[in-house]
Amino acid sequence: MSAQQQSLAQLAAHDEDKRRLALLERVVQRLHTNNSVALAILWTLAGIVTIVFLSVIILLLVQGIPYLVRPDFYSPNGEGSIGSQLFNTFYILILSEIILVPISLAAAIYLVEYARPGRFVTFVHFSAETLAGVPSLVLGLFGFLAFGSRLGLGFGTSRLTGALTLLCFNFPLALRLFEDALTAVPRDFREGGLALGSTKWRMVRTVVLPSALPGIVTAIILSSGRIIGEAAALIFTMGTTNPANVFTLNPFISSDNLTIRIWYVQTLGSGVVPPEAANAVSAGAAALLIVILLAINFASRGVARFIQRRITAA
Amino acid sequence: MAQTQPIQSQAQQRIQRARVGDQVAHIVFFLCAILIVAVIIGVFVFVGIQGFRLFGEDPHASNFLTSTNWDPDGASGTPSYGTLGFILGSVVTTLIAIVIVTPLAFGMALFMTEITPKWLGNILRPLLEVFTGMPSVVIGFLALVILVPFISKVVGPLTPNPATAGVGWGTATLVLIIMILPTVISISIDAVRAVPDSVREASLALGSTRWQMMRNAVIPAATTGLATAVVFGIARAIGEALAVSMVLKGTSLPANVFTPLAFFQPNVNLTQPIVLYFSDASGTTRDAYFMLGFLLLIISFLFVCVSRYLASRSVYK
Repeated sequence: MSAQQQSLAQLAAHDEDKRRLALLERVVQRLHTNNSVALAILWTLAGIVTIVFLSVIILLLVQGIPYLVRPDFYSPNGEGSIGSQLFNTFYILILSEIILVPISLAAAIYLVEYARPGRFVTFVHFSAETLAGVPSLVLGLFGFLAFGSRLGLGFGTSRLTGALTLLCFNFPLALRLFEDALTAVPRDFREGGLALGSTKWRMVRTVVLPSALPGIVTAIILSSGRIIGEAAALIFTMGTTNPANVFTLNPFISSDNLTIRIWYVQTLGSGVVPPEAANAVSAGAAALLIVILLAINFASRGVARFIQRRITAA
Repeated sequence: MAQTQPIQSQAQQRIQRARVGDQVAHIVFFLCAILIVAVIIGVFVFVGIQGFRLFGEDPHASNFLTSTNWDPDGASGTPSYGTLGFILGSVVTTLIAIVIVTPLAFGMALFMTEITPKWLGNILRPLLEVFTGMPSVVIGFLALVILVPFISKVVGPLTPNPATAGVGWGTATLVLIIMILPTVISISIDAVRAVPDSVREASLALGSTRWQMMRNAVIPAATTGLATAVVFGIARAIGEALAVSMVLKGTSLPANVFTPLAFFQPNVNLTQPIVLYFSDASGTTRDAYFMLGFLLLIISFLFVCVSRYLASRSVYK
């Protein structure tokens, strides 16, 4: 009797176990279904984003390549060509890098090597973040007042005003990238330099800067990408039209560049420039900008790696 | 004895020179660091003072924040400086853009940090970087050539004015989406990546599936970082100027602004009037555009403060 009871109880317990097991299995099943659904959704979202990005690049190249392969597209004169704009783009790139690099590198050196961590550094970082958040259009208004008009430095709408405005535009990013490059240098390098009795500046010059070179070069390349692509900060400060001859190194003349030209022929100048020329200029210039930016992106990877290898090998 | 003296003084001179050089370098570096503070203060002071002159020059400007009628030249009698229409344009386009961008960006960020195979990541990351630096005029041009004809063909028959159906808030919103998506994605990726692996491991060790791990551990831990990304995206969208100015093409709000048709008619936002009309303006009119710029500056400053506050509250940085 008792054995029978026992086996009955066992059977009941067995049933209970089975039910629980089935329940658990269902829960696990559901979790796995949820997991698969969620992962599928994430794959889809990522797919959508990637397709949008890729199709934008491909569309731009398809629109522009037919113009890019024609040599007369690069001639300096004529409404459907971009020779002078191409020159201006690289001119303003070099001019603003000449101003930007020493100033922001010096500021980064101060923040990383000299300043004690504390309120001042936080304050400078807050200023940099605020400046990074200012719309570039407003920076253009500021540059117009501070560097262009008689209120401030009075350079008028000129390449120099444009370069100074680009300094304000790129300062926060360059500062952060340079700071990152400097902080990546190990502490013992610095201590070694100081222990040999050199002054701080000598130590920075001979130890920190060479070791930080890959990061510094990457920062310069990244900021140059932003300079090439920027237009909103420049339309009030550098101008939207060209003088008769742009192929001079004179920083006091006003000129446009590739991005400004695209914008100008599609908006303000749409009545002045014939539509075919406008479309040729914008399609070709847009594709050219994409090619330049892609090249810059690959260069920033390659160059940093190359310098790294040279330094560590030497 | 007589020989060591000059050597000693020479060494002392060298040390002296090095010290002076160090001091000079120190001061120069300090000035450069101060410069960034000076620039941001300068931006507020210059643009602010020039903008506020408007209220002294023209008493009509008191309707700056209360009217929708922007007519600084007084083409229809008295000049009017109402910016509400511009603000409405920016708010509508930005809000819709950010609502669409947020899920896309979070999904992409989770995908790139938690799921993506290595080879795919090596393709996606450079693509994202190139897009973060995409010039806005290029996107604006592409929208003009591809989106505008497409939208006017699809939606045109439903609108009163099919010829201009392709421009307006609808296209501007799409342009904004493409412009801010890469930025929001890369900040979200930073936020998700800042969550330490121990959080993930703890969750997985409790038997979570990967999705449970993401939903219950990673996303809560990265909340403030993700919020920062969204706020930053909003600030970007409001300040975006050239691409939007290319596809808005309006001079004032359309008549039927509270119907869906408003998205498919020439329209306005905050940046577009500055971009298009500032260069030709002078005197009081120009100050009105400066005031518009100052309004833009204040709005984006508020968003920077919010994003900074959120960032300061995040646990993982």
